[in-house]
Amino acid sequence: MKHIIRWNFWQRRWSVFWWCLGITAFVSLELGVYPSVKSQAAQLNEALSHLPESVRALIGGSSDLFSPVGYLNSRLFYLLLPLLLSILIIGLGSSLIAREETDGTIELLLGRPVSRGKLLLAKALAGLLVSAVVVLVSAISITALVKLVGLVVPLPRILFAVLLAALLALFFGMIAFCLAAMGAAGRGASIGVASLVGLGSYIIASLESVVDWLSWPAKILPYHYYNPTEVLNGFYAWKVASIFTIAILILGVISWLSFRRRDINV
Amino acid sequence: MIDSAPAIATFGLGKRYPSSDRYAVKDLNLNILPGEIYGFLGPNGAGKSTTIRLLMNFIQPTEGHALVSNLNVVSQSPAVKKAVGYLAGEVALYNKMTGAQFLEYMAALQPPKHRRYQRDLARLFRLDLNMKIGQLSRGNRQKIGLIQALMHEPEVLILDEPTAGLDPLMQEVFFEMVRAGKKQGATFFISSHNLSEVQKMCDRVGFIRDGKLIAEQTIVELASQALQTYNISFADATPLAELRAIPTARLKINTPRHVTVRIKGDLKPLFLVLARHKVIGLGREEANLEEEFLRFYRGGKR
Repeated sequence: MKHIIRWNFWQRRWSVFWWCLGITAFVSLELGVYPSVKSQAAQLNEALSHLPESVRALIGGSSDLFSPVGYLNSRLFYLLLPLLLSILIIGLGSSLIAREETDGTIELLLGRPVSRGKLLLAKALAGLLVSAVVVLVSAISITALVKLVGLVVPLPRILFAVLLAALLALFFGMIAFCLAAMGAAGRGASIGVASLVGLGSYIIASLESVVDWLSWPAKILPYHYYNPTEVLNGFYAWKVASIFTIAILILGVISWLSFRRRDINV
Repeated sequence: MIDSAPAIATFGLGKRYPSSDRYAVKDLNLNILPGEIYGFLGPNGAGKSTTIRLLMNFIQPTEGHALVSNLNVVSQSPAVKKAVGYLAGEVALYNKMTGAQFLEYMAALQPPKHRRYQRDLARLFRLDLNMKIGQLSRGNRQKIGLIQALMHEPEVLILDEPTAGLDPLMQEVFFEMVRAGKKQGATFFISSHNLSEVQKMCDRVGFIRDGKLIAEQTIVELASQALQTYNISFADATPLAELRAIPTARLKINTPRHVTVRIKGDLKPLFLVLARHKVIGLGREEANLEEEFLRFYRGGKR
């Protein structure tokens, strides 16, 4: 199993490098300008308060976007970080099994004494490893930038917010992985469905405070429970993190149940 | 050998895809003994690859079951794979790896008994393992596919069109490997659509058509019944009446003095006729195409 993990990671080594570089660049760009906006925080917050509530909802829902917590939430944790991580992990989730199946190379692996369960687990762990490296580099670059630009928020809160963003992205990625493991949808379809759930969930959860009838559907979507402001203010949402983890594991079990006895489409 | 458990056995094995109302494979009963080289013949789309993919548990049977090395191919799949070497019909490999990296990866997933054997195979096939697989020709990719199937010296080899893309010299190398494998006691299940190729290496042949096994014969029986084609030129007029009197022969008159005779089984009646006449030319065609054979075998009209 370790050989499959190693090869899948090695195959994506350059992609991991560019993702780490890209995320670091985004984080630097977003957080690097904080010193210049900090001095005008009061005026900017005043200007923000005149914006419609629906617009504010889409960028984090806070009326205080330029305090350290407000800035980190609106510029990074509410959308950018989970979005970037979701793109990475949905791409991984859809390709890890589906690409080998489309290429026909999956028969080489299943032609060896490797059970389907082990193959699926190895693929999931390889994806987790790639994601973990990128998340780790993201956490390091955010920590460094926060110190550098003087965004005074305790480190454990920042790390927990990164963890929550990573779990949210993993949930969306796991939807893609699960669909690819079921084999009913192709690689493109699994990306599409997972992205739709992610993006739709973000839009619905963002607008639920403004549009009354969205509050019920929002409750069944993961973004509703993703509240980085809370975390950055010191509320460690362990329950949410646990629910995300359980949902990821449930999707993992569904993937296994679907994959272990289905026809391989080469 | 007769008393031992079959190396491959199928019991009413069937596969019907949900999207189709016809069976890809239906009621297939095979019994292949250890050490046997079994040729599985049929035209494209007859169900050869489906059977192989069922044996490899890549697809699930809708009916019946199959055993390889006395292990159920579905419920004991990883154990079955320990005993099996597999080559797909259309070999898919990792194009970004070199041949050596690829074989190393495969060896890590299933350690070979003798590491040297892999190098020996590469040498026999005259293969450069340092090139990226994506840069290799079809024939060289096929060789890598064969090496990965053979390198752990499995008890059972399931090979789908193994000689596709190999030049005649390398085909001979492969036939030699099959014969050497048989000496070591390995069982071969080889699909092909080329009867003459199968005749060169197999002990027994099964014919599949429209998903059904329509006949099984040993190679000896096959040789005695095989359709052979002779082009004959006579110095005088063709003795048509005498040739037509041979019940196993079919005639095609090309010119008054030149005929093509297709004959099955015993050649003696034909040569007795030829001996009585002045023959100025005799050529034998190697066109033992299985499609043609099947039609003949089933008594169909040509």
